[in-house]
Amino acid sequence: MARKYEGFMKGVFFLSAIVSIVALILIIVFMFAGGVPFMLEYGLGDFLLGQKWTPSNTPASFGILPMILGSIFVTIGAVVIGVPIGVLTSIFMAEFCPPKLYKWLKPAVNLMAAIPSVVYGFFALQLIVPIMRNFVGGTGMNMLTAMILLGIMILPTVIGLSESALRAVPRSYYNGGVALGSTHERTVMAVLVPAAKSGIISSVILGIGRAIGETMAVVLIAGNQPIMPRGLTFGVRTLTTNIVLEMAYAAGEHREALIATAVVLFAFILIINSIFLYVKNKEAK
Amino acid sequence: MNWTKAGKVVATLGTVLTLAACGNGGENSDASANGGEFDASQPINVITREEGSGTRGAFTELTGVLVEEGDTEIDNTYAGATIQNSTNGVMTTVAGDQAAIGYISTGSVDDSVKPVNVDGAEATPEAIKDGSYPIARPFNVAYKGELSEVAQDFWSFMFSAEGQEIAVAEGYIEAVADAPAYEAAEGLSGSVSVVGSTSVTPVVEAMAEEYQSLNPDVSIDITSNGSSAGMTAAIDGSADIGMASRELKEEEAAELTAEPVAIDGITVVVNSENPVEDLTMDQVRQIFTGEVTEWSEVVE
Amino acid sequence: MPTETSTLTTQKTRNTKQLSSKLIRLLVYLSAVVTFGSLLFIILFILVRGVPYITPSLFEWNYTTDNVSLLPSLLTTLIVVGLSLLIATPIGVFTGFYLVEYADRGNKIVKAISMATDTLAAVPSIVYGLFGMLFFVTFLGFQYSVISGVLTAVIMVLPLIIRSTEEALLSVGMPLRQASFALGAGKLRTIFTVVLPVAMPGILSGVILASGRIVGETAALMYTLGTSTNLPTDLFSSGRTLALHMYVLSSEGLHVNEANATAVVLVVFVLVINALSTYLSKRLSKGGK
Repeated sequence: MARKYEGFMKGVFFLSAIVSIVALILIIVFMFAGGVPFMLEYGLGDFLLGQKWTPSNTPASFGILPMILGSIFVTIGAVVIGVPIGVLTSIFMAEFCPPKLYKWLKPAVNLMAAIPSVVYGFFALQLIVPIMRNFVGGTGMNMLTAMILLGIMILPTVIGLSESALRAVPRSYYNGGVALGSTHERTVMAVLVPAAKSGIISSVILGIGRAIGETMAVVLIAGNQPIMPRGLTFGVRTLTTNIVLEMAYAAGEHREALIATAVVLFAFILIINSIFLYVKNKEAK
Repeated sequence: MNWTKAGKVVATLGTVLTLAACGNGGENSDASANGGEFDASQPINVITREEGSGTRGAFTELTGVLVEEGDTEIDNTYAGATIQNSTNGVMTTVAGDQAAIGYISTGSVDDSVKPVNVDGAEATPEAIKDGSYPIARPFNVAYKGELSEVAQDFWSFMFSAEGQEIAVAEGYIEAVADAPAYEAAEGLSGSVSVVGSTSVTPVVEAMAEEYQSLNPDVSIDITSNGSSAGMTAAIDGSADIGMASRELKEEEAAELTAEPVAIDGITVVVNSENPVEDLTMDQVRQIFTGEVTEWSEVVE
Repeated sequence: MPTETSTLTTQKTRNTKQLSSKLIRLLVYLSAVVTFGSLLFIILFILVRGVPYITPSLFEWNYTTDNVSLLPSLLTTLIVVGLSLLIATPIGVFTGFYLVEYADRGNKIVKAISMATDTLAAVPSIVYGLFGMLFFVTFLGFQYSVISGVLTAVIMVLPLIIRSTEEALLSVGMPLRQASFALGAGKLRTIFTVVLPVAMPGILSGVILASGRIVGETAALMYTLGTSTNLPTDLFSSGRTLALHMYVLSSEGLHVNEANATAVVLVVFVLVINALSTYLSKRLSKGGK
């Protein structure tokens, strides 16, 4: 009887474990089934490389190159801003922070990750945008604003993973460096950081994923013009904002085009994630 | 690691915060500090709504930004225009930017932005009603086939004198003049689902509240997710009543019975520092298509 | 490097060394200040903007356009979070059991599961939202409803719960299990009576983080839960969570002050959830040692 129960529960555990795989397959199937037919009908090249997005014109154009480039540029900017600050902060957390302060800062990083995107967006709209307007002119809603906000938003991702990577480096490395007469700072930079390299790289990749997928915050502050990116001080539209801006009112072909946009975004994420898994596996070996 | 260093960190943190907090306080008074120095040589920052928005659809059509030629329809909105997907987004942007111009539902206009007269007419309910203010659109409600008994009763309430009065009280214009008084039916119960436009929602919501207080056993569920979603929901039967802030498309009109429940003006708004009072319809069109790019071209 | 006398060179090297050390220290401290300064500032900013608008009328039982009550959304948030966790926790925890206690490491299915989990964790919420709309709302015909929202949220937080369960179980020492086996306990019994109690705080902290994620979610719920202002009456009626409420309020543009106040409630909510999770994971690290 007990044995039967053991077997039954093992089955239950196995079934639960399968749920994630089933869910992922469902997501892939439904997203692709929703978007791919449109892409093929409209022409994959015209869709991905088209520079005109004018869904309410007759005939309509659905080219998402401006949004693809917008997403890429904004993400690069977020990485340029967020990664150095994030990695240096993680070094602070791992090597410079007194334990009493750490007790407060660690939960603070978690909190930063938990603040809802909408809240970040409203904060940026009410603060970064007016500052931008004063310094750069225009509406203040531009690529740079989006980069700064996303730079802040990827900080907890970068800090969390980089910090655990730094902490995973054996202490003997550090002791060796100091024994050779190097200062604390130089040992950290020259020995610990290179040793934690792959962990830091994975944190950056996850940060990229977060930046590229962010929606509700960016839509409020990026300007959202569906035209080719023209520079840091001009507005930009990303893949995610293209969806959320127009989904509510879209019908027919327009709606399919937006689902297809999500498919492209999803493909991006899958690629980024494969790179992440590859780096992680290499690290494990 | 020593404590003086940690102390310094905390102290710096404090300083940054204080500075930031002061910055915040200053930011509100920013606009008034610049008061009276409107620089007409600055470029116009055009703010528009997203493609597919009922407000944008109506605005571009009425102002001639949308050009129809035979089978083609081209929305000529200036490609560099900033796009906001909500009324509030447009208002916040215009309120914070001296050089901005946008358009919003007349019912939503408040002190944060300055309404502009079009062709000499102010966007008042009277001017919209008699047609002297040219930019207005219907708020439509629609259903498919036959309404259920409860839904039918709510429908008659919306088009009754009481219902139309609520639309007026909310800042919109009644769609039915001399509407009949509402006669409450006895013992109605059940629920009515209403789905659609975010712009129409506030009006229907106010009507639903009043209706529910008259008929406590009826529950009206309102979901606001966009005109097209509302029409789709009404067509496929997942909602009893759909709401749209635009005219129905041909394929929608073929399936649904629709009627305007209120009329809403679209007001052109600028920053309160902007001296411009009056624009002609043609100037509005030129600004939103990007033909006119500097304030000096429209401000004397 | 200048080639003067050797003592001078050493002196110079030491100076550059000290200079670069100071520079590193400065950069590290500066970054920390920027990070935590912006966090503190964001929270303060939200509080300063929103607290003055928190009024009793915001907490009235029924939402009307006059009181713009956030109570229905607050309750809906609790309902959605509760139901999602009710479904996601057993699935997530059982997956953790399977991965740690039953399957052999390096087994193909284990690899596939952890790859699926990693990928699910990376999917952006907007994609979850559209998937939920295509699958639950349209394909399964659930409409905009609590059930559509909850099921979408379940898939979204599953990776979080699986990961924290895995970590918590792995942190339980092998000797504990062996002792239990030696006393004649079966595997199942060992898991439920010996391993689970020790791992509980870690699992709970993951579950709480998951609830935080649902509380802050907008994009995924907008297209599945809908945005009805009423309190949902059953699984198939629509509602809105606090985050959605805030988004919708500000889109309408009529109730900006109330949106600010909602932001405060939202941030406080998240603060409490995080404090709880931190407290529990502290207990885990104490219990584990």
